[in-house]
Amino acid sequence: MALLEIRGLVKRFLGVTAVGGVDLTVAAGELVSLIGPNGSGKTTLFNCVTGYLGADDGRVLFRGADITRAAPHRIARLGLGRTFQHVSVFGRLSALENLLVFVQQHQEENLLARLVRTPRVRRLEAEAVARARTLLDLVGLGAKAEAPAGSLSYGQRKLLAFAAALMPDPELILLDEPAAAVNPTMINQMKDHILALHRQGKTVVLVEHNMDVVMDISQRVVVLDHGQKIAEGPPAAIRRDPGVIEAYFGR
Amino acid sequence: MRVLVRVAVAGVAVAAPWIVAAIAPGQQRYIVHVLIFTALFAALALSYDLIVGHVGALSLAHPAFFGVGAYTAAIASTRGGWPFLADVAGAVALAGLVAALAGIPLFRLTEHAFAVGTLGFALVAWIVATNWVDVTRGPLCITGIPKPVTTLPAWYWLALTALGLVLLLYRGMTTFRLGRAMHAVRDNEPLAAAAGIDPLRYRMLAFVVGGALAGGVGALYAHYLSVFCPEEMTVALTVNMLVIVFLGGVGTLRGVLVGAVLFTALPEILRLAPTWRLVIYGLLLLVIVIRSPEGLSGLVRGRAR
Repeated sequence: MALLEIRGLVKRFLGVTAVGGVDLTVAAGELVSLIGPNGSGKTTLFNCVTGYLGADDGRVLFRGADITRAAPHRIARLGLGRTFQHVSVFGRLSALENLLVFVQQHQEENLLARLVRTPRVRRLEAEAVARARTLLDLVGLGAKAEAPAGSLSYGQRKLLAFAAALMPDPELILLDEPAAAVNPTMINQMKDHILALHRQGKTVVLVEHNMDVVMDISQRVVVLDHGQKIAEGPPAAIRRDPGVIEAYFGR
Repeated sequence: MRVLVRVAVAGVAVAAPWIVAAIAPGQQRYIVHVLIFTALFAALALSYDLIVGHVGALSLAHPAFFGVGAYTAAIASTRGGWPFLADVAGAVALAGLVAALAGIPLFRLTEHAFAVGTLGFALVAWIVATNWVDVTRGPLCITGIPKPVTTLPAWYWLALTALGLVLLLYRGMTTFRLGRAMHAVRDNEPLAAAAGIDPLRYRMLAFVVGGALAGGVGALYAHYLSVFCPEEMTVALTVNMLVIVFLGGVGTLRGVLVGAVLFTALPEILRLAPTWRLVIYGLLLLVIVIRSPEGLSGLVRGRAR
């Protein structure tokens, strides 16, 4: 069964069509990349799927449930995680707290129990701290756990945002340019992390401009241009597709 | 060491009336009066900081909640004959309810529009208090509000108890999971939503609890002065809160307390030099803003580092 199903999604900005009727189906366990020139509608598509933008037409189904009009926090709680293109952390929270904040809403949300800190909430918090420390170690930020996220380097913040998105163990994760503007060592690290996720059976959709990364790790590549899907297939076929070459390099 | 400092501060705070009596017996009444105001303003500033400091919503509506609480207590006790604790509880509940009802439309606005909207709300509340003469007696003020305790030291301990309760709630809400969720909304709203946090829920939480506590402080204030007038809920109160919170240290318990002590007591101390009072006060504000935009607590932390 399809984990994520996008049917005829349309998004216009003041009459300009950013996404013009895109269909996309992602099966559980897939690793799919979404590519296309700047302004082709990749991030807009992500934002419509995760509730940050309201679609003008079309539907989005996650595990068979319609999430087209749902608020971002509700979609997140269903197990659909995402990262943002522009590195995004809570600057005044510590690295550890950045991860904790991502799991606590999935565990419980009883305001009074949180205020009085019931034994149950304390136990869940202890579990969350243990998981957060493991994930920080995994991305190599174990030593920075107590540092304010705003004091980390750009690449470290990118890794932190990635680790945070993994905290609630989402079924599907949308990664918006995880390898952009970081050094080659970190790109390889990021690639390994994504492949590790894939091996664990998680479903990953990747927006990425770095073609080496895309061609190296994706099972399937979807190409957008001017808000339309112009090609879809395994990396090797996409590389040779005349329509894709034209979209990128012109005639 | 930090625990010792806290115990010492708390001890001095509780013993303040006796200390004042020992040091300045002639000035005791006046100084204890200033201390009562300081405690009440500290509690009010903490309730305000829940909103501006922890969910980052620049509300200018605080005088409205303060006024709703003060009028509730004043009317319930003078006309309804309610006992003290009951009318304070009523003031907290009604101010919280007003904050909830006002928050629903106001939080459709963001940032500067939200600030302007809350300012408008506070102005409307003040105009209602001035003109709804049947209920508030308008500019004639509500007088003869009964005093639950009569001596100044007793009033001081009552105000200090109220401050203690506000402080406990403030700490409970701004740390651990509640605090983390509020700070996430403040630091980065879209990311908070991606973490499964409903930003509106936590903004409303801070706004309603902050408003309810401001109502409680308003009730105590009205009982203490035994008179309450519409002028007590003008934008001047907002300015006072902004000075205490932003120059003390927004979003920090210690900063807000230091701000409350300094900016409530200082104008009084400066009365010793009446001609230069406002000049000195203004210069001091300027120096703090230039030297330490994060507030006094930032300055202290900067030195300690």
